[in-house]
Amino acid sequence: MPTIAIVGASLTGASAAATLREEGFDGRVVLLGAEPQLPYDRPPLSKAYLRGGMPFEKTLLRQPEFYRERSIETRLGTRVVSVDAPQRALELEGGERLEFDSVLIATGGRNRRFPIPGLDLPGVYDLRTVADADRIRDAIARGGRAVVVGMGFIGAEVAASMRQCGLEVVAIEPFKTPLYRALGAEIGAVVEGLHRDHGVDLILGDAVAAFEGVGRVERVVTQNGRRIECDLAVFGLGIEPATEVVAGAGVRIDNGIVVDQLCRTNVPGIFAAGDVANHYHPVCARPMRVEHWQNGVKQGAAAARSMLGRGQPYDEVHWFWSDQYDANIQYAGFHAAWDTVVVRGSLPERKFLAFYLAEGRVESAVAINQGRDLRRTLPIIKARVAVDPSHLADPTVDLRTLAPAERPA
Amino acid sequence: MARFVTVAKADSIQTGQMVKVEIDNLPVAVANVGGTFHAFDDTCTHEDCSLADGELVRTVVTCPCHFAEFDIRTGAVLAPPATVPLRVYPVRVQGSDLQVEF
Repeated sequence: MPTIAIVGASLTGASAAATLREEGFDGRVVLLGAEPQLPYDRPPLSKAYLRGGMPFEKTLLRQPEFYRERSIETRLGTRVVSVDAPQRALELEGGERLEFDSVLIATGGRNRRFPIPGLDLPGVYDLRTVADADRIRDAIARGGRAVVVGMGFIGAEVAASMRQCGLEVVAIEPFKTPLYRALGAEIGAVVEGLHRDHGVDLILGDAVAAFEGVGRVERVVTQNGRRIECDLAVFGLGIEPATEVVAGAGVRIDNGIVVDQLCRTNVPGIFAAGDVANHYHPVCARPMRVEHWQNGVKQGAAAARSMLGRGQPYDEVHWFWSDQYDANIQYAGFHAAWDTVVVRGSLPERKFLAFYLAEGRVESAVAINQGRDLRRTLPIIKARVAVDPSHLADPTVDLRTLAPAERPA
Repeated sequence: MARFVTVAKADSIQTGQMVKVEIDNLPVAVANVGGTFHAFDDTCTHEDCSLADGELVRTVVTCPCHFAEFDIRTGAVLAPPATVPLRVYPVRVQGSDLQVEF
């Protein structure tokens, strides 16, 4: 019986396993995860779950019977040490070998750590897993003042959640606005206003020099010499792709595992998808690695079909959301450079859609509390054609009329 | 006991349009798909977002917040992150009134 192994039992791996069965694959499907839990949804970990309003069971992507009914074997709490490509076998921690016909690497990423003094002090946290979220939740319950280091999406969400839980929050961000690299100065300033209005003490243009304390974090010291007393600190400094499982397998690694538009690595039988995969994007004609929820679902499914020989070029317009306070922020597009920002709606009211244009084309867009319009922008981004900026800015122009009709499949 | 509640004039909702109404303080969305009306809970089963603010393409509604999709005829989930089906309600037109069984 043919065996498909999936290394990584999170969103991407679970999506791939479900798709294999939907597509009628009746061989063995083995889903291996290093964490002890069934695949769960990570977005709540920085929001509803962190705030304490959501039981863990609600984060499960599928109930246990889903896997049972579909004969998807789950091997949880199981670390895969390496992939033996010539023998087509996984080597598991403890020495067990698992033979496969093809394997999907969906190991995601791990939080980036920098050599900052005191980073390992108790009371300094980062967030990736439910175990991490539980530790932060316990610290939040003790109250006091928190320092958030890095106002990217995770940092910004954690800052918002902690304010909603009544903590004092000081946030430190080296760029001149939160989310600066993703959104630029103009829209970043809107997010800055959002956090200031909710009482975050935002320190911009400064960075952490050290975490200090005796036996536990007591203060954060910045490069500009600020000393911020605190009860806990959370850092969100991005992730790095978890590629080490294929380190000896001859798989090309460059900012993640390099795959083509069918999720194939350079080694036959080895596929990759999700946060770990640096995939060639046919619409942009360049490789990219994204860390979005939607990509986990869609690329996991695309990889599964590809493993069954039914692959289609994976050409999704990448998209993600971030909920902070009452703001539903959504971003779509390809993170390219831009030369013009066009706004439809109101920045001060935080209800708008902003388009990032390069040479007249919409490369990406961000929306706050304007999800319907953002969705209508996806075909415009995918079409890669010049659009009249005055139409983009005019809320009376239906965005659905601006993209050329999609070719029938 | 279930009863039919008048929520709008039938001609006030154009085809392809959704409106949000309230029945017993519960937000309900009513959609007109080519002259056929459908009623369903306005609040997405994933998180607290109004589906009437979302996108309607034929009988598929997409939540504006996280793009979960539902079939408004049956309430079935068509796309995550929602996993729980949407509650749907019978609709009828009485004279010029649009009524939802609630």
